Amino acid sequence: MFRAEYKVEGGKLIKVQVSKRGEKIDFVRITGDFFMHPEELIEDLEKALVGCPLDEKVIAEAIRCFVRDKGVVLLGVSPEDFARCIIRAVSHSG
Amino acid sequence: MVEKWRLLDTGLNDAFYNMALDEAIAIARSRNIVPNTIRFFRWEPSAVSIGYFQSMEEEVDIEACRRLGIDYVRRRTGGGAVYHDRDGELTYSIVVSEDHPLVSRDFQKTYENLCSGLIKGLRLLGVPAEFRPINDIVVGGRKISGNAQTRGMNVVHQHGTILRDVNPTIMFTVLKVPSEKIRDKMIKSVEERVTSINRYLGREVSFEELRGALISGFEEAFGIELIPGKVEDFEERLAISLKREKYSTREWNFRR
Repeated sequence: MFRAEYKVEGGKLIKVQVSKRGEKIDFVRITGDFFMHPEELIEDLEKALVGCPLDEKVIAEAIRCFVRDKGVVLLGVSPEDFARCIIRAVSHSG
Repeated sequence: MVEKWRLLDTGLNDAFYNMALDEAIAIARSRNIVPNTIRFFRWEPSAVSIGYFQSMEEEVDIEACRRLGIDYVRRRTGGGAVYHDRDGELTYSIVVSEDHPLVSRDFQKTYENLCSGLIKGLRLLGVPAEFRPINDIVVGGRKISGNAQTRGMNVVHQHGTILRDVNPTIMFTVLKVPSEKIRDKMIKSVEERVTSINRYLGREVSFEELRGALISGFEEAFGIELIPGKVEDFEERLAISLKREKYSTREWNFRR
């Protein structure tokens, strides 16, 4: 399991745990002090990212799609911040 | 006719009941059983609450909590981990119908609108408080109140803290710090970034005085009259069952 933390400038702290299979996300858990509405969709978002290639732009786009399709509101974080933190986790740990 | 809201003061309760009652009030409001409501409450024993998306194990030193008799609970709202001191903090919640003019589609704007009541109340006490996005109230750049909001079932629920007094040492005993070496540094940094009403005013402000000022602040800022009321039987029963089946369970508190 790879881990990383990312402090959004002037915003919130994101922490992720991620495991990979090949170059794809096998599991991801996103925690932190941000706001996301409706809250209970966080687990659906994590599931939606399973199988996503470990590419920052592709992950950010997948999160943007999820946010748009489900009418999710993020406060203090952006899809790009989540994606950056996930990539940081897998790249720091080799 | 000035708009009338219900005022509740539920005094000291444990963390699980406190969080359960907030949800029960939101559900009761969504079913139109109760009017828009402002509730004041405190914590006994002192407690730590974490945001909806946080990990209990990552944020809270469970062993230290057990040793000190401090409860720990996950909130239904996002945001960060908070230490709620029995004698230092007054907590409030606002439950308001989503169609009220104070509620905007924009979450950020709604924080600002709902925080205006607290800001007005603090100013009445002589504390020149200001809103700081996303969800804080500050005085002289130092945080004095943190707030968190959720919405659902056509109701907005915002709750938050007002620091009457602050104790960063206990705070960093129960909240996890990256390493022991930086604990002292973090305590110092909190002393620089956070303040309290007592510290700012240089005198002891009682809970009664603080609550009185905040009630006037909400009434003036929202253009409402707060009518002291009681927790309805529906809310009490629901709170007891939400405490038992949700907020006091390991499944909820350790789900992330």
